[in-house]
Amino acid sequence: MMRIYNKKGIQEQRETMARKTFENELQKVKDAVLVLGSMVEQSILDSVAALKKRDLKASERIFEQDKQINQKRFDIENQLMILIATQQPMAHDLRLLASTMEIISELERMGDYAKGIANINLRMGDQPLLKPLIDIPRMAQKGVDMLHRALTAFTKEDVELAKSIPVEDDEVDALYNQVYRELMTFVIQDPKTMERANWLLWVAHNLERVADRVTNICERTVFIATGVMAEIKSTDDEFWERQKKE
Amino acid sequence: MKFSTPGSTQESELKAGLSDYNLDILSRKRAGLIWRLIFQASTIVGIIALMILILNIINSAYGYTALKAKVDPDTLAVEGVPLEEQNHGQLVAVLQSHISGPAYKKLDNEKPFSERSEADVRALVIARVVRLQVEKTWNLWDSLSKSGEINTEVARDYPDAELRFTSWLNSDFINRPQTSEPVTAGIRTAIYGSLWTILFTVLVAFPIGVGAAIYLEEYATDTWINRLIQTNINNLAGVPSIVYGILGLAIFVRALEPLTSGQIFGIVDPTTANGRTVLSAGLTLGILVLPLIIINAQEAIRAVPVSLRRASYGIGATKWQTTWSHVLPNSIPGILTGTILAISRAIGETAPLVVVGASTAISFDPASPFSKFTTLPIQIYQWTSRPQDEFRALAAAAILVLLMLLLTLNAAAILLRNRYSGRF
Amino acid sequence: MQQNIETTEKPELVIETRNLNIFYNDFRAVSNVNMSVKRHRITAIIGPSGCGKTTLLRSFNRMNELVPGSHAEGEVIFDGQNLYDPMVDPVEVRYRIGMVFQIANPFPKSIYENIAWGARIHGYRGRMDGLVESCLRQAALWDEVKDKLNQSGLALSGGQQQRLCIARALAVQPEVILMDEPASALDPIATLKIEELIQELKKNYTIVIVTHNMQQAARVSDYTAMMMLSDAQRAGTVIEYNETNIIFTRPQDKRTEDYVTGRFG
Repeated sequence: MMRIYNKKGIQEQRETMARKTFENELQKVKDAVLVLGSMVEQSILDSVAALKKRDLKASERIFEQDKQINQKRFDIENQLMILIATQQPMAHDLRLLASTMEIISELERMGDYAKGIANINLRMGDQPLLKPLIDIPRMAQKGVDMLHRALTAFTKEDVELAKSIPVEDDEVDALYNQVYRELMTFVIQDPKTMERANWLLWVAHNLERVADRVTNICERTVFIATGVMAEIKSTDDEFWERQKKE
Repeated sequence: MKFSTPGSTQESELKAGLSDYNLDILSRKRAGLIWRLIFQASTIVGIIALMILILNIINSAYGYTALKAKVDPDTLAVEGVPLEEQNHGQLVAVLQSHISGPAYKKLDNEKPFSERSEADVRALVIARVVRLQVEKTWNLWDSLSKSGEINTEVARDYPDAELRFTSWLNSDFINRPQTSEPVTAGIRTAIYGSLWTILFTVLVAFPIGVGAAIYLEEYATDTWINRLIQTNINNLAGVPSIVYGILGLAIFVRALEPLTSGQIFGIVDPTTANGRTVLSAGLTLGILVLPLIIINAQEAIRAVPVSLRRASYGIGATKWQTTWSHVLPNSIPGILTGTILAISRAIGETAPLVVVGASTAISFDPASPFSKFTTLPIQIYQWTSRPQDEFRALAAAAILVLLMLLLTLNAAAILLRNRYSGRF
Repeated sequence: MQQNIETTEKPELVIETRNLNIFYNDFRAVSNVNMSVKRHRITAIIGPSGCGKTTLLRSFNRMNELVPGSHAEGEVIFDGQNLYDPMVDPVEVRYRIGMVFQIANPFPKSIYENIAWGARIHGYRGRMDGLVESCLRQAALWDEVKDKLNQSGLALSGGQQQRLCIARALAVQPEVILMDEPASALDPIATLKIEELIQELKKNYTIVIVTHNMQQAARVSDYTAMMMLSDAQRAGTVIEYNETNIIFTRPQDKRTEDYVTGRFG
């Protein structure tokens, strides 16, 4: 018996004994991606929490976590290479393995963003935050939430779920714009706050990029399930296209 | 994810344990050993039977002979020249003076004396005039084990006779024509007769047989009439040979007499004015072995791998191009093997030739397809049916010659086959 | 896997089947095949054992007729002519559409004769030595055998024998070469050589190859036809025919997907 998901993400059971070993290996890969994903989620949330509490010790731990994330990514990549070399994946299997390669690279980048946030906290030293953090933790929570569901869509190969996530990127963008405007107000009122505003803007930017990369994971998921490689349009893209035309 | 795990109750019930097997290798081996012994015994029995046969023949072909001359050769000396040194003319004169006029004429009719060689005439003198006669023969075993008793027996019972250890199989025996006297009898005419007959058998049966095999294997479709033909050929291979003799008598000797006696070619042999010729015998034996050759050639053609035919058809060869360039060259070894078997059978055939009319006593060699003839098996058959022991010794010697002839022909054919099959 | 099909230039059809059914006596082995073979392209036929791949391939040059009781219904159009038209001579069909078989079957003759024979039976009047050399060169065998042209073709290694068979097929200048699992009996290196050779031959010939080695089909072919027993009739039929890179990355038919990913059970 093997697990097969139809395009709605509902599990189908089919009677087949062929390639049981390969099936198990593929499942292990997916499990490893989920582990990597939760490590990244944790890292993002931790980095923002450390920043909020100005806890430098906690930020140093993020560096340690990032090393583990990188190591995990290399392990998965190695596993994928072995499967490609030994199992001659075709069609769906080939799409799954090739896309997983891409997805773990995206996850590793998200880990880097968390490291970036931790770095900003350390660089700020003993300077206080420009303002109490409200929208930035919200952005982090939203991005992690999107990532979590994107990975669920990935493991279940749920096309509908995967297609529904990129739209939520707009919420993150809206939060980012709000943070941006707020910080600009501070800078205009008192140009000396420039450096501290800039640090927070960096943090917000990193979190905004996290949501963008989640979109990439969703696109890969759709490709694995359907074989169609296409960008999933969010309102964000439409906005930029309109800008270009004008 | 729920894989059905091995070791569920059902599976463990199905799984056999070591105790379920009875690994009695010894008794299995013993059963095999018993069968092996049975097969070995069969082989040994077969070999022993063959050995007894050959020993029996050899036993008869050699041994002591008590010989008595009817006319002492010393009295035949002409002007002091002994028989052994007389020339052609003197020998003819001796012969003429010692046998009856009609007998002399008959010999001259068979072959004029002027055409006969000196050795031939001397053999005739010894056979017809000196007439060494066999008083008694002993077989090889007795000769070796009881030579003393034999000596005393000859001295007592046949005071005039000379006791000689005779090898009935000797070069004179092979070279001499047939006579009615065992001492001077030879099988040259029979050997030539056999060779001539086989020549025509092969000339008839080989091309027709191979041709028919090619048609049946390559061209004939699977229709009821072709199946009927095939069945008939298979059955014909098992028809008793005497039936072929009767067929040969009716068709070749009687119906086709003008052809088989050479009349229509205008070259009638003076000794035969009818169809009882080498040609008739060859044709009859040819028909006899035809099914054998067809069946064997069919087997050989069928054994040519399909892949070879496909390769040929695959580049657009026609059926005939495929047959001629690939099927035939690759089946020739098999076809030749079949032909060897057929010749072996033909050379040993007696019954059909008796019916077709092989002569039992001729003293000259066949010279053309239209000659009278006799063959080795006929000669052997005729000698074995005589009551005297000495003829049985002659038959044994002739059997040895026949066996050697067979072996020679087979060896030649095997060499030919190996040359073909060893090409690539 | 990517074969860089020049989509700008539309390849011309060489062979086209229309509702082709092939029977062995009453047994329908292949049912309702509609597919095409494009000029100077390599078309692979894949599918599980016993689904009629070889039967379909052999119908393209009427080799099926050598099996007693086989007959075809429908049309195989080659050069605008139905090959199964009663007016068409199978000998001419096989002359224009050559064949290479699963197990290398050189004639038990010299290497030279293996190639010369085919040309000779078709009345070739040109320089035979030149033809033999050119065929052996095209089959990438010349350098290996040029000093032993008089040796038996059977003395060569398996891979060399198969290339000799390809050279033999080239000797009659066919337009299409049908290959029935040409590398299934060879070791991987010899297999790769054959595949390289097939790629070379594509420039001058149209090639149809049957293989149950999916990686091979993926490596060498431009188009792939997927055959499978249809559940209704238990006869083989083409269930999907498309460009090779589509068949192996995103097949449209679920059965093709299962087969190419090795989950055909």
